[in-house]
Amino acid sequence: MSEEYEIPEDLYYTEEHEWLKVLEDGTALVGITDYAQKSLHEVVYVELPNPGDMVKQGEAFGTVESVKAVSDLYSPVSGIVEEVNEELLDSPELINSDPYGKGWIVKIKPKSLEDELENLLNAEQYREHLGSLEAK
Amino acid sequence: MALRRTHLYEYHRLHGRLVEFAGFEMPIWFEGIIPEHNAVRNSVGIFDTSHMGRASVTGEGAEELLDYLLTNDISRLEPMRGCYTLMCNEQGGIKDDLIAYRLSENHFFLVYNASNREKDYNWILKHSRDFDVEVRDLSDSVAMMAVQGPRAEEALQGITSEPLSEVGRFHCREVIIGGQRALIARTGYTGEDGFEIYLWDTPLSQPSKALDLWGKILSAGRKFGIKPCGLGARDSLRLEAGMPLYGNDIDEETNPLEARLRFAVKFKKKRPFIGKEALLRIRKEGVKRRRVGIRMVERGIPRHGYEIWKEGERIGYVTSGGFSPTLNAGIAMGYVPTEYSKLGTEVEVKIRRRLVRGKIVKFHPFYDETKYGYRREKR
Repeated sequence: MSEEYEIPEDLYYTEEHEWLKVLEDGTALVGITDYAQKSLHEVVYVELPNPGDMVKQGEAFGTVESVKAVSDLYSPVSGIVEEVNEELLDSPELINSDPYGKGWIVKIKPKSLEDELENLLNAEQYREHLGSLEAK
Repeated sequence: MALRRTHLYEYHRLHGRLVEFAGFEMPIWFEGIIPEHNAVRNSVGIFDTSHMGRASVTGEGAEELLDYLLTNDISRLEPMRGCYTLMCNEQGGIKDDLIAYRLSENHFFLVYNASNREKDYNWILKHSRDFDVEVRDLSDSVAMMAVQGPRAEEALQGITSEPLSEVGRFHCREVIIGGQRALIARTGYTGEDGFEIYLWDTPLSQPSKALDLWGKILSAGRKFGIKPCGLGARDSLRLEAGMPLYGNDIDEETNPLEARLRFAVKFKKKRPFIGKEALLRIRKEGVKRRRVGIRMVERGIPRHGYEIWKEGERIGYVTSGGFSPTLNAGIAMGYVPTEYSKLGTEVEVKIRRRLVRGKIVKFHPFYDETKYGYRREKR
């Protein structure tokens, strides 16, 4: 079943279905995965943190809501929110149409990236994780 | 316990996303809640409603029994007409909301909520012993579907034996539709014009007749862009129309007066009914809280169970809430003390840790009735 979902090779993942993309300047983009957007379906509202907010690895920093469901967003890494994707306020559906691109949610300046990356999944591990969810 | 399935399960399994609702395995959506919702508001959609409860009450004492059990005036219901009514307990609490049809002098057909199938049937059966009637549960032997939206009549006319333009709102008629005998009623749970279809003699063990009609309606509606719709759109449509959902907005702890369903209670009807004394007492004492509609002024989606606040105090709870595709805003229903129920009153809804601003608005329906709903101006 997991081959139905797009899982880019160059990203890191959480078990809660966030992705993390480390940029060249050392900051990182965060969004939700193709699996997450397909499960939620029709995102109609995103609650974003403010730039400057502190986030901690594994802790909730915002929410994504579909017509039916509310889902917390968990930060893949600790750090400071440098930028939020304000386009999502008016066009939350970007999360559905382009989860790894225009649907990015926040840009974080990580605090201890090297250590924390070890707690995240790579594409292969995330694919296995989805497989185990589907099997349940 | 295994989930129950309707006649149309095979279609849902192949085309929809399934969820559990009131013990049934039902589609939450096929394509998506928003496109399905919009199809019904702007054109036409079809819903499987076979999970609902259906019963017939027949016999010399049928009118008398139903007048005793129901709050609306059944004695004044003409043959082939239906009415929205409540069924109350002795304290005036709402046991259920339902539609009662009179098919002929001594033959009635009741349609009630899926979540109350056993409770309602047992209640009716218990009280029927003092009357000359026969009560029959038809829930598993009559398939039911709803075709809703401004183009519903056009979509169905091509496969229906009788002129549907002659069937008025809350009227019903025996027809041949898609080659099968059915009762068709101009009713629904979306706020739009539309029909509910009852296919006689369709036991669950023989789903083919229902599947066949479902397919024929989809074909007949294709040129109008008909969409099969799930429970998600059913809920968002009824919320926009300000219609209560049993178990959320009304239950045995709420009464019809505070729920703003007074129109379905006929105190002056010739026979007394269960709950009448209690409701008269409540009316005399004055209603302490009222069901209201809230439209969010700030961004945010109110949901069932969220708190309603005013000037630093919690004043009530959201009983139904969600995103309104038609208004493109969060909307909710809930109960607040009568003094805060005036239109225009500013309130707040606690969404997670934040108090988000909203306003008490007209909610029956929430949308502009000149543009949407069965009363809209014909184009």
